[in-house]
Amino acid sequence: MTDHSNTQLLWTLTKGFRSTYAAAIGAMATGYLCLFSAPMLAKFSIDAIIEGDNFSPPMWLTRLIHWLPIKAESDIFPYLIAISISTLLLTLLSGLCLFLRGRFVAIASEGITRLFRDRLFNHLEHLPSSFHDSADTGDLVQRCTSDLENVRIFMASQVMEIARVSLIVLLVLPILFTLDANMAWLSLLSLPLLLLSSIAFFQRVKSRFLLVDQAEACMTSILQENLTGIRVVKAYARQDFEIEKFSSANADFRDQNTRLLGLIGIFYGFSDLICLTQIGILLLAGSLWVIAGSLTIGTLFAFLTYESIIIWPIRHLGRVLTDSGKAIVSIDRLSELLLEPRESELQISSPEALAPKRLQGGIVIEQLTFGYQPNNPVLENLSLNLDAGQTLAILGGPGSGKSTLCLLLMRLYDYPKGSITLGGEELSSLDRKHVRSQISIVPQEPFLYATSILNNIKIGNLHADQQAVEKAARQANIHSAIMSFPMGYHTIVGERGMTLSGGQRQRLALARALLKSPPVIILDDALSAVDTQTEASILDALKENCRRLNQTTLIIAHRLSTVMHADKIIVLNKGKIAQSGNHESLANQPGIYQKLCEIQAIPSFQSYPPQLAVGS
Amino acid sequence: MSEFFDTETPTQNLDEDTFDQGVDLHLWRKLLGYALNYPADVIMLSICAIVTAISEIAFPLITRQVIDKISEQGAAIDIMHYGSLYLIFVVVLATSVAGFIWFGGRIRTQVSYDIRQDGFKNLQQLSFSYYDFRPVGWLMARMTSDCERLSNILAWGLLDIIWCSTMILGITAAMIYMNTKLALIILAVLPFLAVLSIFFQRHIIKSARKVRKTNSKITGYFNESIMGVKTTKAFVQEQNNLSQFSHLTGAMYHASVLNRVQAALYLPLVLILGAIAAGLALVFGGMEVIWGTITAGTLIAFLTYSRHFFEPIEELARWFAEMQMAQASAERILGLIDAKPAISDSTLVTTNIRTHERHLECPAFAASASTAALDGLPLTISRIEFRQVCFSYPNGPRVLDNINLTIQRGDTIAIVGTSGGGKTSLINLLCRFYEPSAGNILLDNIDYRNRSLSWLQSNLGMVLQTSHIFRGSILDNIRYGNLSANTTEIKMAARRAGADIFIQQMEYGYSTEVGEGGAKLSAGEKQLISIARAILANPQILILDEATSSIDLMTEETIQHGLAELFQNRISLVIAHRLSTVRNANTILVVEKGKIVQRGNHTQLLKMGGRYQQLYQQQNASQTTQQEKLWVSA
Repeated sequence: MTDHSNTQLLWTLTKGFRSTYAAAIGAMATGYLCLFSAPMLAKFSIDAIIEGDNFSPPMWLTRLIHWLPIKAESDIFPYLIAISISTLLLTLLSGLCLFLRGRFVAIASEGITRLFRDRLFNHLEHLPSSFHDSADTGDLVQRCTSDLENVRIFMASQVMEIARVSLIVLLVLPILFTLDANMAWLSLLSLPLLLLSSIAFFQRVKSRFLLVDQAEACMTSILQENLTGIRVVKAYARQDFEIEKFSSANADFRDQNTRLLGLIGIFYGFSDLICLTQIGILLLAGSLWVIAGSLTIGTLFAFLTYESIIIWPIRHLGRVLTDSGKAIVSIDRLSELLLEPRESELQISSPEALAPKRLQGGIVIEQLTFGYQPNNPVLENLSLNLDAGQTLAILGGPGSGKSTLCLLLMRLYDYPKGSITLGGEELSSLDRKHVRSQISIVPQEPFLYATSILNNIKIGNLHADQQAVEKAARQANIHSAIMSFPMGYHTIVGERGMTLSGGQRQRLALARALLKSPPVIILDDALSAVDTQTEASILDALKENCRRLNQTTLIIAHRLSTVMHADKIIVLNKGKIAQSGNHESLANQPGIYQKLCEIQAIPSFQSYPPQLAVGS
Repeated sequence: MSEFFDTETPTQNLDEDTFDQGVDLHLWRKLLGYALNYPADVIMLSICAIVTAISEIAFPLITRQVIDKISEQGAAIDIMHYGSLYLIFVVVLATSVAGFIWFGGRIRTQVSYDIRQDGFKNLQQLSFSYYDFRPVGWLMARMTSDCERLSNILAWGLLDIIWCSTMILGITAAMIYMNTKLALIILAVLPFLAVLSIFFQRHIIKSARKVRKTNSKITGYFNESIMGVKTTKAFVQEQNNLSQFSHLTGAMYHASVLNRVQAALYLPLVLILGAIAAGLALVFGGMEVIWGTITAGTLIAFLTYSRHFFEPIEELARWFAEMQMAQASAERILGLIDAKPAISDSTLVTTNIRTHERHLECPAFAASASTAALDGLPLTISRIEFRQVCFSYPNGPRVLDNINLTIQRGDTIAIVGTSGGGKTSLINLLCRFYEPSAGNILLDNIDYRNRSLSWLQSNLGMVLQTSHIFRGSILDNIRYGNLSANTTEIKMAARRAGADIFIQQMEYGYSTEVGEGGAKLSAGEKQLISIARAILANPQILILDEATSSIDLMTEETIQHGLAELFQNRISLVIAHRLSTVRNANTILVVEKGKIVQRGNHTQLLKMGGRYQQLYQQQNASQTTQQEKLWVSA
């Protein structure tokens, strides 16, 4: 990333809000102009009071008094009334301007943030799976939240703060030099020192802020881990160990924070010393000039007021500039994310404009080779033919390529070699979303959204009515469990909701997949946490679906009871098909499948004659 | 797209902030106790706050004197005198400002540390029933943002309240001292300012909370969309998710703009009130100067004070509103700290533990005492008995009904049955995560409620279906079973669990970092590590709850020997759906609808017919013919 493209990103982001920003700055300038006139008016009144008859009012003041219906008790009184009223009017005007500034900035900065947020979200959803595999969830969430927040603060306050300080300097300096050049030079005396020390300080503590953030993140993750694993902690009675682990992280967070606050305390004490000394010097030097007769008391008062208007924002500027630096880094991180190519940009062959019609469920795989890293193939030279309506069972140990095959079928990854066709169409020639709408997948550890059970099932088909949802739930054998919850289908699940057991989650995901009723359905070890009896009735329902909808079913499982009724069974070993056939043929041929049969059932027959086991 | 979605679901009100109640003093007194644990810091903070306020009040008075001096025509001024006076106050002020940030910071961080520490310690003691109704995210929010919020109030709120009160009192006193009439005129603006401030601060804080809440929802949504990206893609939900997300960002936009506009409205109103006060001071004060009742210096001091008056009142109003809003946080976190565990050691047990400790110190008893458990009773568990045990979860239906069961040391008990039949509840009772609603569980004829809870639980080894893996290396994760184990012992345990092979294949072997929640491991690998952890723990009671469900059959077969060895010399309970896993148990219990409907070993149960045979056939069904052939050929 170059700084140039960062600025460009920032500039494109402000599109549609630039005039709002301009209006905000205009309102601020007008507002401050009014506000800064107030000390001038106070100067006139003080001079009028002290100098009495010697006071020579400016033209506008005489005219204003002329307009006002005041009966003068003394010569000065009308001046005072006039000045008070004009101060009030100016303040009203500046109040209005400042309100407008606030409103414009809020609309602009929040509007930009909103668009930026939507854009990021949309982008994330469309990034390819390979990106999400290698990305760290915590890091992505942090970019989308804290980094975006840094940009928001930059847009909302730092930009305006920098504009404000520039405005103050631009508006106040001419006033000061018109009033008295000597005093003006004097009042600028400590400003460079103040500004430099402020910038230097906040640059230095930047790393401290980072340490505090890290300590907090560390403490939070230990807490999170402890709370999610509280069963294990209790089962091993590791409370003391956990408390010790947490205490040290908690103490580290405290100490880092204390140290940072201590430094900030020293800085504020020190800068207060500079600021107040500056005001003191102005007061005493001004007094000498007043005695010498070259300065009026009113002007001295005006200088004291202007000094405090200008000095505190300058002290604050170091902080503002440092935070802007943070925002620049954040924009860097965000544009890095936005530059990641979307899935649709990764198309290998060009998509033919196909109407997203329903495909037939027949699957033909030829010479398929795929690996996550180029020289480490997970699937090698795989060929396979499955008719629509057939059931295929896939067996294999960890790392044999079972799940990868499912991911390729979903086009969650692209295959560089070989071919996969679905209903006669080459997958890579179809639109990804089209492919996915033709296939339902139930993963082993299904993901549930933090919403109601109903909504979670309806993800399969948003237009389904309650009846259809319940039918799918019955087929997945989860309906009665759902009805036993007090809120039924409206029970919230996911992070902030009710905890479901592994089997319940799997069945819920199955209901979701069934509701979609696509040509192809994939169960990726999706019944591992379901007991055998329930499994049997689910498999029956699936079979019935297959017949009715001519649905092709792929089942990955470890239990033989799950796979043995399949039309076709393949055993994968290190990315290759080691065996294929149906239950009967495989059980009779020596190999992995036969061994599995032995493990699961045969030893039990050793203890008594086989006929007993038939259960007659 | 939202019209397709379920809208009947009520939103949870677990963390709603309200203004309904006034400030509950009792609650805050209790919280203040956390700050008062550091009396020296609190006193220094108060002193710094008061000194800061007094110095700030002093500056306009010095300026007044200087101006009075110079407005007397032709008078000389003692620059050294005023210069040094001014300088003294500057140094005092700068020191006290640094001081209050320093001491406030100490209180702030120390208090948040203490609250969090108390909360964490109590969370470790609380029973499972506490966790059943409180999601992890909810607990996290109490322990992080609530803690920070309260400690902010206790440090900076305390500071500001002292500073503001001193400022208001001090300025009032200084003004009355200079001129009562003018003071009263300016003070007349005060009630308006107070009402305005309280009104606005309330609304500003309220809308800020809404912003924060919406923001945390957005974070949750981002998190969800990233975690569930594959599901989203598989169901082509991108567009639908985006439209829901846009609703949220729209709500965020409106809430934020409202909040900022409220603040933008408040500031000018305060400025205008200030201008009115200054105008009054100018008109009335100006005349007084002309009449000679007050000096020009006094007028300027009044003008300055009329500006300084506003900040403390704004701040006070803000803290008052914040305290009202934070009350719900305070209640929640104190509730968490004060929550009593539903299950804890009885008084009898605590007395036993104390007696035992005394015995250990006394040489006469030490020898015999050292062979006993920490409650003075036998160390070993050789028999567990369930006697007419019934159980139901709070406000729930009966889950276990009249369970009678005896398990001897060396026994392996397998529990099978349909989901929801009560298998896991049985285990939860045995581990004393819950206690029976009726009946007793006896450990060697002593009711386990009369034994130490932590003694029992430190003798458990547990492998669950969803294995929890901690961030850190594989080595550390296995070591969790026995913190004092060395690397050789850990590797031995891994070998027996069948985990050694895949660990060796990993790039860094045993030192491989597994990531948050073991993200880099498959479900089966996580289970193998959990089994290794249990083996290393060498517990008296071992529980495998669907511990091998994600492990493929070949691997399970290879670890069967390790498990068989593991089951020796202890009490083992196994829950499994795969019957191949439970075949070798001494006793198999078939649990259905909270009752043990069948018991016996595999052979007996098959002969007996009924539920077990049914389950068995479902798994093997049409296999038998081929198996017979195989069997004959083998």
